[in-house]
Order: sequence, then structure tokens, then C-alpha cells
Amino acid sequence: MSIFDEMLGTDSQKTRQPYEKLMAWLGDQDLKKLYKKSATAEELFRRVGITFNVYGDKKAEERLIPFDLIPRILSANEWRMLERGIIQRVAAINAFLEDIYNGQHILKAGIIPENLIYKNKAFLPQMCGFKPPGGVYTHVVGVDIVRTSENEFFVLEDNARVPSGVSYMLENRSTMQHMFPELFTTHQIKPISNYPKELFKSLALCAENTFSDPNIVVLTPGIYNSAYYEHSFLADEMGVELVQGSDLKIHDGRVMIRTTTGTQNVDVIYRRVDDDFLDPLSFNPNSLLGTPGLFDAYRNGSVILANAPGTGIADDKAVYSYLPEIIKFYTGEKALLNNIPTWRCSEADSLQYVLEHLHELVVKEVHGSGGYGMLVGPAASKQELSAFCRKLKANPGKYIAQPTLALSTVPILTRNGLAPRHVDLRPFVLVSPNTIEVTPGGLTRVALKKGSLIVNSSQGGGTKDTWVIGA
Amino acid sequence: MLGRHGDNLFWMARYLERSENLSRRIQATLHYALSRQNDGEEEWTALVSNHGLGSLFDEKYDDPKTIDIINFLLRDRDNFDSVVSLMSKARNNGRSVRTSLTREVWLSLNESWMKCESALKRPVNIRDLPVILDDIIKGSSSFRGALYGTMLHNDIFNFLRLGTFIERADNTIRTIDTKYHRLLPTAKVIGGSNDQGQWEVMLRSLAAWRSFNWLKKGRLDPLGVANFLIFDERMPRSIKFCYKEVKSNLEDLSNSYNKDYESLGLADEIFTSLNDDRLRNVQEIDLKVFLTEHMAKNNQLSQAIANDFNMN
Repeated sequence: MSIFDEMLGTDSQKTRQPYEKLMAWLGDQDLKKLYKKSATAEELFRRVGITFNVYGDKKAEERLIPFDLIPRILSANEWRMLERGIIQRVAAINAFLEDIYNGQHILKAGIIPENLIYKNKAFLPQMCGFKPPGGVYTHVVGVDIVRTSENEFFVLEDNARVPSGVSYMLENRSTMQHMFPELFTTHQIKPISNYPKELFKSLALCAENTFSDPNIVVLTPGIYNSAYYEHSFLADEMGVELVQGSDLKIHDGRVMIRTTTGTQNVDVIYRRVDDDFLDPLSFNPNSLLGTPGLFDAYRNGSVILANAPGTGIADDKAVYSYLPEIIKFYTGEKALLNNIPTWRCSEADSLQYVLEHLHELVVKEVHGSGGYGMLVGPAASKQELSAFCRKLKANPGKYIAQPTLALSTVPILTRNGLAPRHVDLRPFVLVSPNTIEVTPGGLTRVALKKGSLIVNSSQGGGTKDTWVIGA
Repeated sequence: MLGRHGDNLFWMARYLERSENLSRRIQATLHYALSRQNDGEEEWTALVSNHGLGSLFDEKYDDPKTIDIINFLLRDRDNFDSVVSLMSKARNNGRSVRTSLTREVWLSLNESWMKCESALKRPVNIRDLPVILDDIIKGSSSFRGALYGTMLHNDIFNFLRLGTFIERADNTIRTIDTKYHRLLPTAKVIGGSNDQGQWEVMLRSLAAWRSFNWLKKGRLDPLGVANFLIFDERMPRSIKFCYKEVKSNLEDLSNSYNKDYESLGLADEIFTSLNDDRLRNVQEIDLKVFLTEHMAKNNQLSQAIANDFNMN
């Protein structure tokens, strides 16, 4: 399998055009100085506290997501193509959600099997018959994209619940500007620093017809959550309060916070808390994080939740496999961005194929995330393969399988100079009633181990600044 | 601002101030111990008992050495009032209110924490002690500088300052309390070198050694010390100074929130009572009663602040 390197192409003969200036600059750099810069960057991240906690880590130490200082570059043309595809996809996801919770035309038309929805944990019957203000379900989406060649991009998965990582995208950029200002004078890089303001604007637009001058807050599970830094960062940059579930009280059907001077209404909650932990009365009764009565207030229209509860039904990995059909059904167009061919193990034929080809496939849990519980066939031992075979047979509906793609690589700085590593890309999408906007670039995640395909930070992946350059 | 955030700010500042005060006290005790022929053991032991930590400490150590006391006060996480515990609580409170702090204030807090955590990772040796204590105190100064230089002087600032001065008043009262018997008129004036050493510990603990000497041209007398630490408005750790600050921050809050507060009344009362001429001469008041009373009043004031601003 030949691997496409985004800097050098497949044959490593010639630097690809978007990387030409960077390559020239790299040629002038003293490697030792770059190592030093790399250490400075790490120090900076630690001082600022851009850290995350790993679930299940007993020592509960705060860790850094490794930052690699070689940027990943996309040309304006490549980006235009991606952007169009992402907008189309996210529009379809919102139409799908509205339909699933109101009318269910797509089920009636037989495009998607009913059981896939009704038996799905991510489907929230409580949302049926309710339309969120402005018609927006997924205010923020992260679409994970991988590349396999000059012109081939695939969507790996959609993140329509509470996607995270945007603070890394922004901090990576400001770190690069701080360390290598000269690169920003020689490259025309599309700016991204407006993201928090755009997020604010987009949330305010959803509330426009319901509240005048809405009071927006960010809801976090608290300082021990792995993404707490991001929550505080976004609240700070938007200039809004950062609250926890216990800070919110429902009074006369309205959501209130207790301030130093009294109480205040809350109109929009950008929540970074999973559905299960929003409201113990409507969802997980054992949750200590939630606010009793919040969901009722939401259904009565007295508060906006972003993203809406129940959006997980659109990014479920089994539903993912139907995305091309979903896009066609709601937009009438062919999907601009490809899905990765996916075998649903719930179907007997597919299961058979997957069991026979396990050593060459990637198998994922339908509800999994963060790279947990997945099998990378080509990298697995015989024992791991046969253990996974048993799991698959015992509970096939829990899994999907995909071919192992030859993910593109971008160089990272290693102790032995530059070396290619596999990457993916998570662009961030903001949805407001009339527009869908994609911040140019996104978060590039990179597998730091040679040959590894797993880029998740919880599994030792790192990140890079991502540039969209040119007019 | 959320009431909880007011509470976080208030306690972040209290914990920071407490850790600075403890470090200064250890620093002063170290100075005392090193300037004597014996190792100043009774002063070290007093450090533990004065902070109400005697029983926890005795539980942990059968035959404690001085270095055990130092480690217990600096880095024992079972001791909620050790420097590490205090800094960690301060930082967690700070993390909760990151959105209220400027980048510089947050950086100074986080950097102090990182430095402190790494310096106290392993048991401390007496050799490293001066540098470690210096660093903790410097961290506190840099925090104060960032606070004054980069924050809006608004309600966020006021809650931080309230925490600082409520804690500082408490500390000064308690510090005098541990030595009050030496300040009473019955105490021998300019006694042996032992007495002088004790005053020095007290003054150094409150960063007041140099200023007191400067004011009194080197004359140390017990009543002068007591008057100075209680009534001198120019001294940033005197009880009166602390209440001047508490009062002024509560006035700011009262103005910006356009409301009258019980806590402001209380602060005003305490501050005014310190103006009373009858109390000017420490000889005429029972110092012990005065200190006990003010400890209680200070707690009451802290409670009133929490109630007034929905911090609980």
C-alpha cells in the first residue's frame, strides 16, 4: 500500500506546492533550535494549563497533548472542496435530526431500517415532536476527515454531540504565531481566531426570536473533566459565565443562576455535558452533575440547549454508514465527501465477510469514541484477532468494520529529524438558523508512533497547527 | 458573577495568603533556629501546635525531628493546611474561576503551583529550605503584582482582596496570640536574648522586622510591638490595616452593586473600634481578651460576607 505524504507526495520526488515555502524555510533551520522551540512550546502549554485528565488514570495527573510544530498545510482549492462537502453533510445531518424527531419520513420511505433508530441508545424519545428554536440541532459539529491520496478524502466520523478540540486548534495557532512569526509573513494563512466570537454570534442568532439580548452560558462538568480547559477557554473568549449543573436552578419554569447580587435568567446554554448528565429527572437518574427540571424547561422553550439533546442519533457509527443515503434523501444531491465503505456487522453477510477478513479491517464499537475498544486488524496479534472474533459473534450489532485506509502522512519533528506520521483532520462547523460556517482548517491530530493509525489524544496522539493558505 | 465564583475568588486569595503567611513563619523560625546554639526546637514545636495541628502531627510521628515538622508543614497532603495542600486548593479555586482572571494572574498562580509542586515532590532537606521558601513568597508577590497591574478593579478584584485581608487579619491576630504573654506589661522589658529572639520571630513572620526597627530606631519594647502590629495603619499586616482594606473593598462592592450590606456594617464597626483612644494603650486592655474577641469577630465577618454575596 503506497502512502501519500502531504509534503512530499507518494513518490517523495518533489515537495508539493502548498509546502514549498515551508520546505525552504525548514532548510534554513538549525535542528537544535527547533528542538529548543519545541520544548518552549511544551513549557508554554503547561504554564497556561492546556492540559487534560485521562479517565481512569489513578494518579489523575494532568497531561499535555503533545504539540508538533511542523504545520499541516492545505491549499485554498483543497479547502474549498472540503468546505462544500462539509456544509452539505452538516445540513443533511440537521435535516435528518429534525425528521427523525418529527415525522420520520426517511424511515417511512424505507431508506433506513426503523430498528436502527428505535433500538438505538442515542435516540431520545423525549425529543419527539419538539423543534428547537431556529431549527438548529447541532450548533457545533466536528467532522473527522482522513486523506488517502492527492484527491481522495473520506469522512471518518461525524461528531454531533459535544465535539471538543477547538481550543487546541486555537492555541496551536497562537503558539505558532508566537514562535515563528516570520512564517506568518511569508504565508497567506486564513485566520481562525474569530471562532469564539463566531460561536457567540451563532448561538445568539438561534435565540434571536425568543429572547432579546440573550444571556448565554457555558455548562461544564467541572474542573476534573478532561476538557475543562477548553470550557473555560471558550467561556472566557466569549465573555460569558462558566457554570456547572449545580449552579443552575429551575424557578417558575425558567433557568436561573445565583449571582453575587441575586438571581439571573439563563437563555442559552452551550453545554459541554453529555445528554445523560443534563437532567436526572429526564435522563440518568444517578447523575450528580445535572440540573433537575432542565429538560422540561428546554421543551417549554424557556431555554436553548446547544447542541440539542438526542443529536447522537446522527453520529452513531451504524447510522454513519447510511450518510450517503441521508444526504441524497434531504438534499437531493450526491454526497460530495465520501464515506469509508462500512460493513454493519448486524447484517449476516457483512458479519461473515468481516470475520473472514478481520486481519485487514478496522473494527469499531457503534457507540465507542476516543479510540477505545477498537481493533486495528493489521496490527493485531493472533490472540487479539481470535478474541475479537468471539466478541463479534456474541454481539454483532455492537460493531461496524471498515477497511484499513492508508492514511496520509505529514512530517513531525522527531529526535532523528523529520519523519512522516499519519494524520486526520477535525474541522469545526458552526450552524445557525440560516448559515453553516466552517472555520478554515481545523484540528490536525497526528499519531506520534511510527506506522500507528490511532491519532486520539487519549491514546498518545498529538496535534498540529493546520493552515489553509492562498487566496 | 456567580455566587459560587465569588466564593472561589475569596478562598483562592485566602489559601494563597495562608500559604504565604505559613512560609514566612517557617522562614522566621528557621532564621531564629539558625541564629542560636540549640536548634530552636521549642519554636518549631510551637509552629505545629499554634496552627492547631498538634494531634494530627503526633499521630504521624513518634519521635519527630525538626525536619519532620518542616516537611509536615510544607508538603504533607494529609495536613490540609500544609503549603502543598493550600496551594493546590488555591489553584483549584483559580481553575474554577479562570474566566474571571487575566492571563497574567492565572499564569502567576499556575506557575507558583508548578514550582511549588515540583520543589516539594520529594522530602525537603534543610539545605533547600531557604530557596523553597523564597520561591513561595516570591510567587505570592508576583500574583499580587499581576492582580494590581492587570485586573479591572471591579467586584472580582474586591472578592480577591477581601479573601486576602480577612485571612491576613486572622493570621496577625493568631501570631500575636501565640506570643501575647510576652507582650503584657508584666513581661520583662528588654529581657534576655531569648525574649528578643521571640519578638524577632513574630515581627519577621509578619514581614515587619525591618519597618519596626526603622520606626523605633532599634528600640524593641513589648508594648511598642503590640501597638505597632495592632494599630499602625501604615503597616500592611497590622490588624487595623487589614480592616481598612476589608472595609474599603466592601464599600466598593456596596457602591457597584448599589446595596447596603451587613458585612460592611460589621467591618466598619471593627475598624472604628480600632480607632478608639481607650484601646490605644495596650496596657489598659486585656490583650488576651482583645485577641480572642477579634478572632471571633473576624470569623463572623467572613460568614457575613459569604451570606451577603450568595457565596454559599
